[in-house]
Formats: sequence, structure tokens, C-alpha cells
Amino acid sequence: MEVQVMQDILGSNDKLAAENKKIFDEYGIFVLNLIGSPGAGKTSLLEKTIGSLKNHLRLAVIEGDLFTSKDADRIADHDVPVIQINTSGGCHLDAMMVKKVLSKLDLQNLDLVIIENVGNLVCPAEFNIGEDTKAVVLSITEGDDKPLKYPLIFKEASAVVLNKIDILPFTNFDMENARHDINCLHPGISIIETSCRTDNGLDQWCSWLRAAAYEKNERMKKNNG
Amino acid sequence: MCSTCGCSSHGQGTQIQFFVTGYDAKNSKAVEEKLLGLPGVLYVHIHTHDGETTINYDPAKTRLSELTAVFEQKGLQAAI
Repeated sequence: MEVQVMQDILGSNDKLAAENKKIFDEYGIFVLNLIGSPGAGKTSLLEKTIGSLKNHLRLAVIEGDLFTSKDADRIADHDVPVIQINTSGGCHLDAMMVKKVLSKLDLQNLDLVIIENVGNLVCPAEFNIGEDTKAVVLSITEGDDKPLKYPLIFKEASAVVLNKIDILPFTNFDMENARHDINCLHPGISIIETSCRTDNGLDQWCSWLRAAAYEKNERMKKNNG
Repeated sequence: MCSTCGCSSHGQGTQIQFFVTGYDAKNSKAVEEKLLGLPGVLYVHIHTHDGETTINYDPAKTRLSELTAVFEQKGLQAAI
């Protein structure tokens, strides 16, 4: 595992993101940009996802954090390739940061790359990094008011994971209200309720991700001849 | 979105205000939800009693005519 320290964002992010995407497309790799607040359970969800999918898909993880390799250390325990990007205080990953670590991945032998963004519901929504799609993790403890307060990420994502549903009975989180608001912001979006403690909903989440990855793998194989 | 840290690539978007006649409690809620579902529309606030309707949106993703069409579909008249 390597820790990359990144500073000074230069150039046009969208242009670099398109270049990253082109590289991933050439190899038929599906890329997920996983976004959510600090403590929403992104890394726990990733660990469970790896456990479920690593025998079906060749996957790697890029971890984004301000500092430390704590999340990458957890992922490394699951025997998948992982790269830690430290943003040195930056509140989101950008396309340049991802571009710089691509050479560290064995792209020839990957089907799926999951990029766990810096914990933040605001800025990561604005920066494409070469992903096929974004998914947002919102935990029950954050409150059902968050979709309308932080609308952009719910507009940009193609799936919402409502995590930590095991503690739903102990909170005043209104699931019906949360689902209603998310559907208002993004009609038709996939909403998946999960608990990484009880494993509830993880099959649905992994099926969604697996289907998306297979679809791209097959499509790119045809396109790339 | 994030103007305080200065990292935003897209700025704050556009805020537009309409004055709409014909609102009632039911159709104003329906308009709010319909507008929020349009691409790039991040915030909608409606004063049902006086028709003041504030929308924050990204003009690159939704045209002004698509906003006004929502009012027209509900039989409402909107002026800027």
C-alpha cells in the first residue's frame, strides 16, 4: 500500500476527469465514487462490499482522506489492492489526484475500482474524478433532513445508501420523509437501506453494484472489440 | 456550493424569483416537488399566500422555459 500526498490542484478538473474516464473505459473498468459525511459508514460499507464481491469481480480501492492511512489499513486487511490519497487538508478528491495514482493500479486485471472520497457531503459532489457514477451514503444518525439541505450530491448520485438502519428504532429519523425528499430531488434514484452491523440490505447494494459493473464490463468489451 | 473554502468549480448557480398567481396549499406543494425533480434545481421555496417562488438552479442543466412550463402545467401564471 502506498500513501500519496497531494497538493496544489492545477488545470481543468473536468478535462482531467474525462482523461481518467477514458483510461478506465479502455480497460472496461467500472468506477464508483463513494461519497458521504464523516462517520456515515463508507469504509464499513466498503469492507462488506469487498467481502461480498471480491470472488466475483477483480476490484481495487482508492481511499481519500485528509490525513492518515487508517481507512486504507482496514481495506488492506481484505486482501485487495488499495491506494491511499492524503489531501493534506483538502476537502475532496479531484481528478488530478486520481490521475497521479492510476499507474499504481494493475488496470489490466481489474473490473471495479471503488474510490472512497473524503468525508464531506458538499464539495466532492462538484468534482468528477473519472467515475462512471456516484453513490452517496447517508446514515440514520445524520437525520432525514439532509437530502434537502445538501441537494447536489443527491442530484449527482445514482444510488443512495441509507446506512445504520439497525439503530432506526432509537432515533427520530423519518424514513418515509427521507425517501420522499430524495425522490423529489432525483426521481427514480436507487435507494437502498443497509446495516453493516446486521448485514441487512447489503445483498441489494452489492447486487446493484455488481450489475452496474457487469454492464459496463460487457459494454466496453463490445466497444473495444 | 462550497464558497467558504473556495474550492467550488461551478459557483453558486443562479437564483430566480417568480411571482405566481393561483397557488393553494395543494398545488404549491406539487409545484415545489416537480421543480425540485428537474436537473440542476437545488432549492425551491414557495410562499403560498403571496406567490413568491424562489428557485436556485443551474441554467446549464435546466432552461428557464422548463421552469415556467411547470407553472403552466398546473394552470398557474408566473411573472419574474
